[in-house]
Amino acid sequence: MKDISQLKEEFLKELKKAKKAEERRKICKKYIEEELSSVFCSIKNLAGEKRTKIGKEANELRRFILEQQKKEKEKRKEGEGWIDVTLPGNDPEMGTIHPLTQLQRRCVDIFSRMGFLAVEGPEMENEWYNFDALNFKEDHPVREMQDTLFVKQKNRESLPAKDKLLMRTQTSPVQVRYMEKRKPPFRIIVPGRVFRNEATDSSHEINFYQLEGLMVGENISVANFKAIINFFFQELFYDDIDFRLRPSFFPFTEPSFEVDISCSICAKKGCSVCKNTGWIEVMGAGMVHPNVLESAKVDSAKFNGFAFGVGLDRFAMIEHKIDDIRLFYGGDLRFLKQF
Amino acid sequence: MMLHFFEVDGVEKVGSDFTLDIDVLPSRAGDCFSHIGIAREIAAFTGMDYKEPEVKIKEKGESIEERVSMDVRGACSRYTLRVIDDVEVASSPTYIQKRLKTCGIKPINNVVDIANYVMLETGQPLHAFDAEKLGGEKIIVRYAKKREKIVTLDEKRYELQDSILVIADELSPIGIAGIKGGIVPEVDKETKKIFLEAANFDPLTIRRGSRNLKLRTDASLRFEHGISAELTQIAINRAASMIADIAGGRVVKGLKDYYPEKEEEKTVSFDVGDVRKVLGTDVSLKEIERILRALGFRVQRNQENFSVTVPYFRTDVSIKEDIIEEIGRIYGYKNIDPCAPKKEIVPTEKDENFDIENSYKDLWKSFGFSETYNYSFINEELSIHFDRKKLIELEKPVSLEFKYLRPSLLPGLIRNLAENQKNYEKIRIFEMGSVFYSEGGEKYQKKRIAFVSSADDFYSAKGKINLFLDKFFTEQIFYVESDENTIFSKKRLAKIVFGSSNSRQEELGALGEISSKIKEEMRIKGSVVIAELDLEKIKKFRRKTKTYEQIFRFPPSTRDVAVLVPKKTPYAEVEGKIKKEGGKMLRRAFLFDVYEGKEIPEGMKNLAFRLLFQAKNKTISSFEVNKLQEKIIKSLDGVSGWKTRSNK
Repeated sequence: MKDISQLKEEFLKELKKAKKAEERRKICKKYIEEELSSVFCSIKNLAGEKRTKIGKEANELRRFILEQQKKEKEKRKEGEGWIDVTLPGNDPEMGTIHPLTQLQRRCVDIFSRMGFLAVEGPEMENEWYNFDALNFKEDHPVREMQDTLFVKQKNRESLPAKDKLLMRTQTSPVQVRYMEKRKPPFRIIVPGRVFRNEATDSSHEINFYQLEGLMVGENISVANFKAIINFFFQELFYDDIDFRLRPSFFPFTEPSFEVDISCSICAKKGCSVCKNTGWIEVMGAGMVHPNVLESAKVDSAKFNGFAFGVGLDRFAMIEHKIDDIRLFYGGDLRFLKQF
Repeated sequence: MMLHFFEVDGVEKVGSDFTLDIDVLPSRAGDCFSHIGIAREIAAFTGMDYKEPEVKIKEKGESIEERVSMDVRGACSRYTLRVIDDVEVASSPTYIQKRLKTCGIKPINNVVDIANYVMLETGQPLHAFDAEKLGGEKIIVRYAKKREKIVTLDEKRYELQDSILVIADELSPIGIAGIKGGIVPEVDKETKKIFLEAANFDPLTIRRGSRNLKLRTDASLRFEHGISAELTQIAINRAASMIADIAGGRVVKGLKDYYPEKEEEKTVSFDVGDVRKVLGTDVSLKEIERILRALGFRVQRNQENFSVTVPYFRTDVSIKEDIIEEIGRIYGYKNIDPCAPKKEIVPTEKDENFDIENSYKDLWKSFGFSETYNYSFINEELSIHFDRKKLIELEKPVSLEFKYLRPSLLPGLIRNLAENQKNYEKIRIFEMGSVFYSEGGEKYQKKRIAFVSSADDFYSAKGKINLFLDKFFTEQIFYVESDENTIFSKKRLAKIVFGSSNSRQEELGALGEISSKIKEEMRIKGSVVIAELDLEKIKKFRRKTKTYEQIFRFPPSTRDVAVLVPKKTPYAEVEGKIKKEGGKMLRRAFLFDVYEGKEIPEGMKNLAFRLLFQAKNKTISSFEVNKLQEKIIKSLDGVSGWKTRSNK
C-alpha cells in the first residue's frame, strides 16, 4: 500500500504537468476512483490505530482532491462565459434634449444662483408692450431697426396699440409685463422665442431665442452690471472670458451698450468667427430708460436698474462651433442626437 | 473710436485719401451725419482741438425782401433762403471734386457741388434753384395737389399724393421738399441768379413721402432722422460764402427766414451723485466738465451741482440719463470696475413653470424621444388640414412658408419625421412650444407638448402618455373615441379627457395614428403615432405631492375571468363593470389577452383578465374570493351578447 503523503505528492506532480483542463480533470478522477479507493479497500485489513490514522489521512487527501476538482470545474464555467469586451455596446433607446433647451437651462441656473427668477411672456405680443412701453417713439425710424412680423387684422390702423398684434421682436416686453404687476426690487431673466421678418440664411432665422435680464432697485449701477455679467460669462464658457462695453443705442436703455466677449476660439488673435477682431458681439444692454420704468409704473426717481439681452442661438453656435443657425429649427436627428 | 463712440465698419483708401465707413447710431443722426459732428466726437475722446470753418459773407446790393417772397404752409419748421446774383457756373475746384468723389457724390458744377459739400460738412441738406427759370418770384412750401406731377433732377417722373410736401413757384412744384429737386429750375452753365434754400422739414412727413415715392436721398435720410432747425442758418451762410468765393457770386443783403417757433435751448440739471449712482464709479468734477465742454455743452457748476445747456445739434439729449451716457462713454466704460450689487437679500418668488416643463421634457427623453424645435409658422399646403377660420395670418412674411402661425405642433413634427426617415428607421421626437389660433374674434396663444413616433404603436404610445400623466397629474384621465381631427386617422384617434362624466369632462389633447392622406402627401413610410396635449390644461391637474399608498401585507388571491364580447365593445366598458362588482377587495384587473379568430364566434372577441383580490387588514378566504368572482361573472353574463368563460 502506498504512503498517503507520497500519493499526494504524485498527485500534485501529475496535476502540475497536465496542461489541459481535460487532463487535469482525468487526473482528479483517477486519484479518487482508483488510487484512493484502493487505499480505502486495503485499510480494511489494517488494525487499530494504524487504520484510524491512515483512514484519516486518506480522507484528508480525498477532500483535497475534491477541492481541486471543484476549482477546475469553476475555471471551466468561467471560460464558457467569455465575452468579447471590445465589441460595441448597444445604444440605449434614449432621446436627447435640444441644445438650445440645454443652454437655456444652464443660463437659468447661473442666474438663479444670483437670485434671478426665470419668467416668461407671450410670443404674440401687442405693439404697446413691444414698442410704446419700451420708449420706441411712434413712426420713428428705430421701429424699423427690427423687421417686425405683424399679425393680419381687420382695420388694424384704427386699433389701439394694445390691440395691434405682432410677433415680439425681443423678450424686453416681458420686463414691463413683469414690473407693472409688482413692486421693486426686481431680478429676473426671461428666456424665450423672438421673431424677425427677415430672409433666413446661415446666420439669420425668422425665429430665434433671446435671454433677457433685468435688475431694478435703488442705486443699481453700470459697475453692478459689469459684475453680474462677468460672473455669467465665466460660468457659461467655463473659461476666462474678457468682455468690453461699447456705446450703443436702444430706445429702452440710457446709457446703452453693446457687449463684446473675447473670442475663445482664437484667444483674441483673430479668426473667422470674430472676423479678425478678437471680439464677438453677444449682448445688447444698458441702464433701463426712465420712460420704460414709468410705463411699468415704477418710480424712476427712486429706482433704476440695468437690462440686457443675449441671443442664445449665437451662444450655442459659438460653444458647439455650429456654422448654420437653421440646424436648430430643422429637426434633423443627425444633428439633434449629438447633444 | 468704437469704445467711446461708433463702430467703424471699414477704412478704405480712395486715391490718396481715406474714407472711414462709420456706423452712426440712429439716435445720433442729428449731429453725426456730418463731418463736423464726427470731428467733434473725435476731439472729445482724444482731447484734441477741433475748429469749425469760419464764415464771412460780404453782402451787396438791394435787400432780399425786394427780390423774393415766401409762403410756407405745412410741415416745415424753418425755411431760410438766400439770393445770389452773378454767379459763374463752372466746374468746382479740384479739392471739392475730389472730396465729393471720395464720399460717393458725383461732382456736377460749382454751385451744386458746394451745396452738397456743405451738406456733408454740416449735415444740413441745401438746394439751389435757378431763379430765372422760376415762374415768379415767390417760393411756396405746400402739400402737393392730388396727381400733381414733377420731373426730378435725374429726369424721373413722379406723380404726387396730397400728403407729400413740395416746394413750388406760383405755377408748379419745383422740388419735392426734403427729398429731391425738380429739373425745371436746374442750375446749369447759363445760370446767373440763384435761390439757395436750407430748410427744416417734419421728419415723419419726409419719411412717409420718401417711402411712398420709393425715393431715398442723402437729404431725405437726414430729414427723416430729425435735425436741428438751428442748422439751416449756419449751413446757408457757409454755402453762400463759398459760392461767393468760388463761383464769384454776389450775395444779396439779408436772409429770408421763416422760423415761427425758435427751438428752445434745453437745460439739464444733475449732480455728481447721479453720475456715481448710475455709473457706479467716481468721475471727477473736472473730468465731467471737460467731457461735456468738449462735446459742445455749456456747463455751469455750483459745488457738485451741474446745470448744462444742450447744444442745438444734440437733438438726442434731453434728460439727465442722456448726459450721464455722454460722461460714461467718453470717460470709458472700461475704466469702470465691476462691483457686485450690495443689497439686502429679498427672496424672489418662484416661478415653477421652467422647472416643471423641464421635468416633462426629461421624462420624454427617457422614453427615447428627442426634442425638436420647429418654426412657429406653417405654409398654405399644411394649413388645409386646419379650420381656416381659426388660423392667424401674418402680414407680408418674407416667405410664404411662414404665412400662418402654427395652430398645432404636429405639422412641424410630422415633417421632421418624414425628413428623418431618409436616415433613421425608428424615430421618436417631441416638441414643446406655443401654438396660435383665433376663436370667437379673440386670438389665443397656448403652450402644448406633442409627440410623433414611428417606433411605437397606439398602445405603447398610450402607455407612455399614461405614465407621463400619472407621474405628474391626476389619475382621472380617460380616452374617448373621436374622428374630429384631419391630421389623425379617422379610425384610430382618441381624445384624451379629464373626468369620467360628461359634465365635468375637459379635453386635454389627442392621441392616434396619422391620417393616410397626410402620410401619402408627405411620403411617410410605415405607421406613425402622434399625440398633442395642451400644457396649460394638464397643468391644472398637476399633483404637487404624491401620497404614499400603503403596501398590503396580507397575501393576495388571483382568479382568471374571460369574457366573450362583440368585437366593437370597448374594453373600458368591460373593465368598468368588473371593477364596479369587484369593489374594494379587487385590487387589480389585469387584461392579459385579447383574442379573436379561430374557435371564437364571428364578430366576437375574447378578453381574458387576471383578477387580484387583496384586503388591507386580513387574508381573504377562498370562500370570499369565489363569491366575488361569481358576482362579477353574473354581472358580465347579465349583459346581452356577453358570455363569460371562467376557470377557478
